[in-house]
Amino acid sequence: MRQLKIALFAAVASCALTLPAAAADGEKFDGYTLRVKLIGGAQYEPLYTLIPQWEKATGAKVEVISRKSHFELDREMKQDIASGNIDYCAFSSHTNFAPQYAVMNQPLDDLIAADTIAGFAPLVISHATVNGELMSLPRHSDVSNLFYVKSLYEDADNKARFKAEYGYDLAPPETWAQASDQAVFFTAPPNRYGTHFAGKDEGIAGRFYEMLVAEGGALFDDDWNPTFNSEAGVRALNWFVDLYSKKAVPAGTTNYVWDDLGLGFATGNVAFDLDWAGWAAFFNGADSKIGGNVGVALAPKGSSGKRTGWSGSHSFSITKQCDNKPAAASFITFLTGHDAQMLEARTGLLPTRVKVWDDARAEFTAKGDSFMVEVFDVWGQSMAEHAFTPPLIPEWGEIANALWPKLQAAILGDMSSQAALDEAADEVREVMEDAGYL
Amino acid sequence: MTRFRRYARDHAVPLALLSPAVLVILLVVLLPLLFSFYTSFSNYRLIRPDSLWDWVGFRNYARVLGDGDFWSAFGRTVLFLTVALNLEMLLGLGLALMVNRITWGQRTMRTIMMFPMMFSPILVGFQFKYLFNDTIGLVNNALQSLGLASEPIPFLVDRWLAFAAISFAEIWMSTSIFAILILAGLFAMPKDPIEAARVDGCSNWQVFRHITLPFLMPFIYIAMTIRSLDVARAYDIVDVMTGGGPAGRTELLWTLIARTAYDDARMGRANAMAYFSILLSIFFTWFFFRKLMAARRHLGAF
Amino acid sequence: MSRAMKDRLIWAVTFLVMLIICLPGLWVVLSAFRTNGEILTKPAVWIPQNLTLDNFRAIFGLGENVLAIPVGSYFLNSLVISVTSTVLAVVIGMSGGYAFARHRFPGKSGAFLWLMLSRTVPGIALSLPLFILWSWIGLIDTKLGVIVVYTAINVPFTVWLTEGFFRQVPRDLSEAAQIDGCTPWQAFWKVEFPLARSGIASAGIFAFLTSWNEYALASQLTRSTDSKTLPVGLMDFTAQFTIDWAGMCAMAVIIIIPALILTFLVQKHLIAGLTFGGVKG
Repeated sequence: MRQLKIALFAAVASCALTLPAAAADGEKFDGYTLRVKLIGGAQYEPLYTLIPQWEKATGAKVEVISRKSHFELDREMKQDIASGNIDYCAFSSHTNFAPQYAVMNQPLDDLIAADTIAGFAPLVISHATVNGELMSLPRHSDVSNLFYVKSLYEDADNKARFKAEYGYDLAPPETWAQASDQAVFFTAPPNRYGTHFAGKDEGIAGRFYEMLVAEGGALFDDDWNPTFNSEAGVRALNWFVDLYSKKAVPAGTTNYVWDDLGLGFATGNVAFDLDWAGWAAFFNGADSKIGGNVGVALAPKGSSGKRTGWSGSHSFSITKQCDNKPAAASFITFLTGHDAQMLEARTGLLPTRVKVWDDARAEFTAKGDSFMVEVFDVWGQSMAEHAFTPPLIPEWGEIANALWPKLQAAILGDMSSQAALDEAADEVREVMEDAGYL
Repeated sequence: MTRFRRYARDHAVPLALLSPAVLVILLVVLLPLLFSFYTSFSNYRLIRPDSLWDWVGFRNYARVLGDGDFWSAFGRTVLFLTVALNLEMLLGLGLALMVNRITWGQRTMRTIMMFPMMFSPILVGFQFKYLFNDTIGLVNNALQSLGLASEPIPFLVDRWLAFAAISFAEIWMSTSIFAILILAGLFAMPKDPIEAARVDGCSNWQVFRHITLPFLMPFIYIAMTIRSLDVARAYDIVDVMTGGGPAGRTELLWTLIARTAYDDARMGRANAMAYFSILLSIFFTWFFFRKLMAARRHLGAF
Repeated sequence: MSRAMKDRLIWAVTFLVMLIICLPGLWVVLSAFRTNGEILTKPAVWIPQNLTLDNFRAIFGLGENVLAIPVGSYFLNSLVISVTSTVLAVVIGMSGGYAFARHRFPGKSGAFLWLMLSRTVPGIALSLPLFILWSWIGLIDTKLGVIVVYTAINVPFTVWLTEGFFRQVPRDLSEAAQIDGCTPWQAFWKVEFPLARSGIASAGIFAFLTSWNEYALASQLTRSTDSKTLPVGLMDFTAQFTIDWAGMCAMAVIIIIPALILTFLVQKHLIAGLTFGGVKG
């Protein structure tokens, strides 16, 4: 732990020069040690370099007792719930997973001032609300839009050949059907594929879910009967199946998760990539083979005319067992404050405070970074108009786990889309029955 | 009660000597197993601690038995164990015979032979995940550079290649254990019968087949028993390499249990499955242990 | 072909085979000195362009990385946990092995088999119930908690190896020593123990390697720098959405080297220990 703190301290020494000191509103928790569990990772940790500022302002100490990826943290917290061993105050959460932690999650309505909450985007606050109670303060949001390799789309030869073959102009896809055409068109293995997708775990389940919605389907009816094995469901799944059978995606895509996608696109292996904005600065930067050659566009529409927009927000919560809730509340308010969000926004993470959207965009404009301005415009529109979450129930994880092996089976051609979805629907029904919905 | 007391009095010394071993195993193995045995009859979910008292009888077992995914994972696990253990044995035997013939620098060579044993299973998983990656993996890059393949080979996706890949990783990690145990056997081997056989004009193969191999059998069985004790270590490898996917093509009992238990948080059902995996492990160990005992008796008659 | 030539040829062939076997492992070691951009890329960079110690610097917090991995604490935890549990397992196992080898009591062979079978329970089946039990007792995230578990895991195997060894030592020796005025304990310590030493050494090295490399249980039972071991620490490199493979390799080198040195030092005993321990008798 000591080395961690030294490293944090060393890092903040350099940050402090560039950042205005965050204004703490005078609360003091002298001598108190706040125990927290935080999500780790290159995109998440720069924020934690601000923690010493909060420590200085309040006189409290922060002890980070866990720092790992969200999936690992999720496992760990479920075990904490099972054993009743909750000896920490604040934790990193995610709006789509938060309902699982209901047993230990302290509602925030009485702890966070109303005018603080008013600074957040209403849609994001509604995503963080379960059964009418605010469960967490959103830190940054996640929604996927399109990154594409500009030069491929601007190449005159490509344009002419595409028009001849498909009968319409080559431009970033407006519908998923066009995306499919273009993926096939750009494929030239082994060095380039049209696109790729997260093919396992919650990744493919979520991708299927947003396609299902864009095709006009739904996971459940109003009584929680699974309905995704509908025609819309088959159409949604077939989009993935077709691309895979036409070899327009790398064969290994069924094993890919987010880091594989990010690295793959940055290596220039694919023509377009549906991804979150957190990669934006990396894609267009010096470490990427397509730096300076990246375009962005809104996620395409499904056949219902609705765009895909599977969304959620990383957030911070407080435990019910916390022995100093005001301190924890002050801590998570600080980490989701204006300055903190500006720090994250600079790398492309989507802010949850309305004002930060404007300020960050203004800062990019002032710096002449037109790419990041464009990213903020596209993702901003997406968050405002097209974002939706999976059902905010504790069973989302189990539903995703029932879905994805079957989705893979269809994608790999082991069974038909209809059969795969039917089997998944049976499993999901069992999950819902056991949980008392049916 | 008096019978027990008499037994305890008559055998006080061995019981006292054994008690630490028994106690620590009771605490670490038996007690948790009793708890998980109870939960396998409940609708226990981690995120709902109260559900521990939600008794569902044999429902978990009935569902597991009726689950096709479970049985295909079960069958695949048996196949995986059979393939891995046998290949490890053959390769280990070959390695041991080679190292045994070396006269110079053998100590260094033995250490090199044990190199893979130094790797944590989780590390082995990552290592082969990247070696076998379809776009940036070393194996695919090498094949394409050498002109042996024009398209990337999806080692971790194709039904049989993926199975071969996880078996390969497991074999890579554990062949050393066989090699070192069989080498120990070769060292212990009396030289006289071999020389006598050579005088009688036996060929190398005949010597190996009729003298060396029978002598080595107990060592091979002991290696099999030792390996079957902790085959479940392969869980770490498979979990990292493929997580049991895609589409359950590399799903072993252990990955299925882990996902049901931790990601789904359905402990009751996971524990019901765990009991099948325990029975499977016990069977493999018991099988080799009996072979070992038989071979020991045979050796005694040598 | 002369005999010397033949020996050399066999040596060369064996060396080549070993090299091929070690290649995947050597790739890991080499990757520890390269950058992520060079290892995982397409087209592949076959000849390392620049070897660097940056990955090690980053681990020890000397680089410009955001957060250092507390590798020092992990190393210390691993060392304390592995050594303590190995010593405990050897002592407890030896005591049990001695009981099986020297004493007759009803139910002996059954007890022996059950002891073995306790080791077959897969870690994954054990980890959750163990976790809940340990958190009730308060052993989660403590070195003691992991030590107790590893001791239990290693005891069956040490019982087995040492049992074979004590059976090799003639009973008369101990009896003779006792007639000469030794207590049973002195007789054991001065006469029987030295003869069984290499069996104990090989049981020890197996126990140590098991503890040193174990992941499945440790990943559940440890939480923080108070108890996290090196293999669990490897997962620090797989943060959300990014995997630092080069950093992981550097850490792997740190894990492998002590194990390799130890194995090299004791492997003479290892061979001798395995020869007599399990099979004869």
